[in-house]
Amino acid sequence: MGPDHDQSETEPEVSAIGRRLATGAEPYLYTAPLLILIVVVMLVPLSVGLSYAFRDIQLLDPFSGGFVGFDHFRELEADRNFRAALLNTLIWTGASVALQFIFGLILALLLNREFPGRRLAQALVFLPWAVPTFLVGLDWAWLFNPVVGPLPGWLFALKITHDTNNLLAAPGTALIGPIVASIWWGIPFFAITNLAALQSIPKDLYEAASIDGASVFKQFRSITLPLLAPTLAITILLRTVWVANFADLIVVMTNGGPADSTQTVASYIFTVAFRRLDFGYASCIAAVLLILLFIYALAILSLRRLIMRRQS
Amino acid sequence: MRAALGLAATALGLSLSTLAQATTTLKLVEVITSPERTETLKNIVKTFEDANPDVRVEITSLPWGPSFEKLATMVAAGDTPDVVEMPDVWLALYANNGTLESLEPYLKTWQHTSELNQRTLQLGRVVRSTAYMLPYGFYLRALYYNKRLFAAAGVSAPPRTLDEFVAVSKKVSSLPGKYGYCLRGGAGGVNAWMMFGALASGSDVFFNADGSSTFTEAGWIKGFSTLANIYKSGLAPKDSVNWGYNDVIAGFYSGTCAMIENDPDALIAIAERMKPDEYGVAPWIKGPSGKSFPTIGYTGWSMFANSKHKDLAWKLIATLDGVPGNLVWNRRIGALPIYTAAVKDPLYADTRFKAWFDELTDPNVVPMVMPVDLRAWALFASSIVPRTSQSLLLGQITAPEMAQEWAQIMTKAKQSQK
Amino acid sequence: MLRRTLYWSSHYVLIGLYVLFALFPLFWLIKVALTPNDLLYSEGIRLWPSRTSLEHFRFVLAHSEFPLFFRNSLIVSSGTGVSVTLISGAGGYGLSRFSFRGKSLLVALMLITQMFPLVMLVAPMFRLLAPLGLTNSLTGLVIVYTTFNAPFATFLMQSFFDAIPKELEEAAMIDGATRFGAFRRIILPLTLPGIAATGGFVFTAAWSELLFALMLNSSSQASTFPVGLLSFVSKFSVDFGQMMAAGVLALIPACLFFLAIQRYLVRGLTAGAVKG
Repeated sequence: MGPDHDQSETEPEVSAIGRRLATGAEPYLYTAPLLILIVVVMLVPLSVGLSYAFRDIQLLDPFSGGFVGFDHFRELEADRNFRAALLNTLIWTGASVALQFIFGLILALLLNREFPGRRLAQALVFLPWAVPTFLVGLDWAWLFNPVVGPLPGWLFALKITHDTNNLLAAPGTALIGPIVASIWWGIPFFAITNLAALQSIPKDLYEAASIDGASVFKQFRSITLPLLAPTLAITILLRTVWVANFADLIVVMTNGGPADSTQTVASYIFTVAFRRLDFGYASCIAAVLLILLFIYALAILSLRRLIMRRQS
Repeated sequence: MRAALGLAATALGLSLSTLAQATTTLKLVEVITSPERTETLKNIVKTFEDANPDVRVEITSLPWGPSFEKLATMVAAGDTPDVVEMPDVWLALYANNGTLESLEPYLKTWQHTSELNQRTLQLGRVVRSTAYMLPYGFYLRALYYNKRLFAAAGVSAPPRTLDEFVAVSKKVSSLPGKYGYCLRGGAGGVNAWMMFGALASGSDVFFNADGSSTFTEAGWIKGFSTLANIYKSGLAPKDSVNWGYNDVIAGFYSGTCAMIENDPDALIAIAERMKPDEYGVAPWIKGPSGKSFPTIGYTGWSMFANSKHKDLAWKLIATLDGVPGNLVWNRRIGALPIYTAAVKDPLYADTRFKAWFDELTDPNVVPMVMPVDLRAWALFASSIVPRTSQSLLLGQITAPEMAQEWAQIMTKAKQSQK
Repeated sequence: MLRRTLYWSSHYVLIGLYVLFALFPLFWLIKVALTPNDLLYSEGIRLWPSRTSLEHFRFVLAHSEFPLFFRNSLIVSSGTGVSVTLISGAGGYGLSRFSFRGKSLLVALMLITQMFPLVMLVAPMFRLLAPLGLTNSLTGLVIVYTTFNAPFATFLMQSFFDAIPKELEEAAMIDGATRFGAFRRIILPLTLPGIAATGGFVFTAAWSELLFALMLNSSSQASTFPVGLLSFVSKFSVDFGQMMAAGVLALIPACLFFLAIQRYLVRGLTAGAVKG
């Protein structure tokens, strides 16, 4: 887990001192500002928002607000639109995060080597992250548009598609557009975080392994991956949660269409909240999404703890 | 951190100084925002401020895209303006909850009330027969057509009937890469469905006496399937299933599709990008019954019921909708006027407006008002119609099935709003 | 030798592909921003218009309050960057070095705050901030953005601190330094790349955030530039050229900021120190 100190003599001494040095109040001092901020600014509105799930809140009806118990949840159970949206969410989130991660990790590995022009290349490949998401959506919508964008022509010329129609207009292929846009936008995130983590792995570990005759792949598997794993777990976890909740690109590029084929849970919540004006039901859907994501988070975190325990 | 404190201090200082001057501040919110409109609005508001020296008007311009959500959030949290720009489709949502102030008492004593054309007051009063808004202009559909494409396809004149419309579309679509009709399959496409339905059925009656919807009648269904077939047989671009307002206009002026039905305000965008000999405007087509039913929409000004300066707010509305103000406004935004005398204004003598005025004077043209008085209409138009009509266009459902679903929703909405 | 050539040529080819992929959509933005209105559709597919024009940029700078929006975005993003770095740096250090009662609860809370769709938080948050006068204010935005970004930044910082053994500052503390002193003088320099990366993320996240900037602030005095961009998408005008021009203008500071951070990431300070 760290450099290979000769710990046999100093270890008991350091641990004892360590225990003495960690005073009681210290951890709370460091984490207090964070806790206060989160509780006051987010948890209070969050609880209010969640409470709407049990009430009948119609946005523009000041007389609504009565308690309805689990009615919304019962409605959700039978809601076909929700189930379709959930499936789309799985596809959308899975494909986006997996591909962003893979391409981002490859990029980080490529940039981890010193080479002439590295600084320039690095600066350039990270630029997509600086673009606001709705501009990303508009930009890619234009790229996919047969009248004003080059992509339909190129895809047709490369025999990837069999006509020059807009991918975004057909229910089977519409989700590809936002997924590609999210990959373009999200690669820098994984590339930057992984690169920073890669650079904190001591180079002599690799040197020692090379001397021992380990191949590049073996080094990757036994040195890089395990040391990278904690960062990977957190970034994948957070990115998944964000993407699952992220409706911007879809709303801008396809508005959930055609015929709801790109409607995800996040965009469905928006529709229910701001078109049907039913904040109660929307909060209920959001609460269910929250629970699903929380279960997912617990799974990832247990995995992470397993990996870290195996390392030490 | 210091910057934040500095900002807070400045804000405090500013608010204290305004108190000291004892000026009244009126809050005005515009929702259909563009740089040109905001400028025109500011000019009109300035004339109001000049006439009322101790009143200041604070204009908030919401970007149109998210304006509905934004205004709804503000209102739900109690942050309401005094005067707001109110589109017809939102009216029922706000007016039915007592959020808006009735303008009837003010209209009774207003000098210009008698000069308004009868449509103005009629449409302002759709909710509970009370004027919860005073319209500033009307949006009536007409047929824009591309003269160049017509010439290339051998079409000599714009279509006047439904059958001619389909025939012309076929001719233009035979040109490579070109299409006859710019279909609006995405947001805001409800007008076209209603127009085609009414054309085929020969009537603009949405509900029977008992409140049940007429959508399941054979005529309406035929209209729906005619429009769907235009798409399915390739007379509209394949993309158009997802097209919104901006896309159809762009499709038209880029020369991709030859015909579009739209309001006079689209002239602004089109005239900027096309030369006068490239496009023309004709009255909307007539159906087999010999009648035409272009939809008519409207936007206006409303006052919030919790305004603390109601009389002043009315004065502001009166200025905005008054004789000089309203004309300046409509000149900028391209809507049809609310005053009977305005038809004589040189702006409307322009040949490009001829089509609309022909429509207004033709007894066989019946401007169709959609059931915006129903609270459920906003959701129906913005969410249900795009989704179900797209399913129809893509062949996932049939026209009778879509009509059935629509009828159920409409009947329920009408009958529950007694 | 052949193997090395093969390795490096494929390395360069891959890097080249990534750079191309990253830059092409941005190139397209610039291309559209420079295309005059009448050619926007007729020459839509061309890689470069037959005639370029600066009319869109002129319009954006003259007709909208762009400099104001820019300034607001700068204030909000820098404010957020600074406060998140401070708060999450402390929090991340605390989570990394200590185990204490309530630690798992804190972690769980931070995770939960990331999972609720922000759209549903708008209304309750508006109600919370309005009576405090924090709506229509830049300060309010900084507070909201800091809170949203703090959990992620904290986790990130924690993982960077985790990579550095506790022994380093404990050794310094045996020599008489306070924990905080050891933190400042030893740990901080080692994690500078990580802190820079986190700061960069937070700055750009705040820079491009739209939902809360739109919903919480209404007056143009308090609008950030993404809100300003939206004004080019009006109902009656499709001014894509202007919108792309505005987008290009707004990307310049974000790009400059990234360029500045590159130096920190490349330095790779950690590699050397941890050995020791």
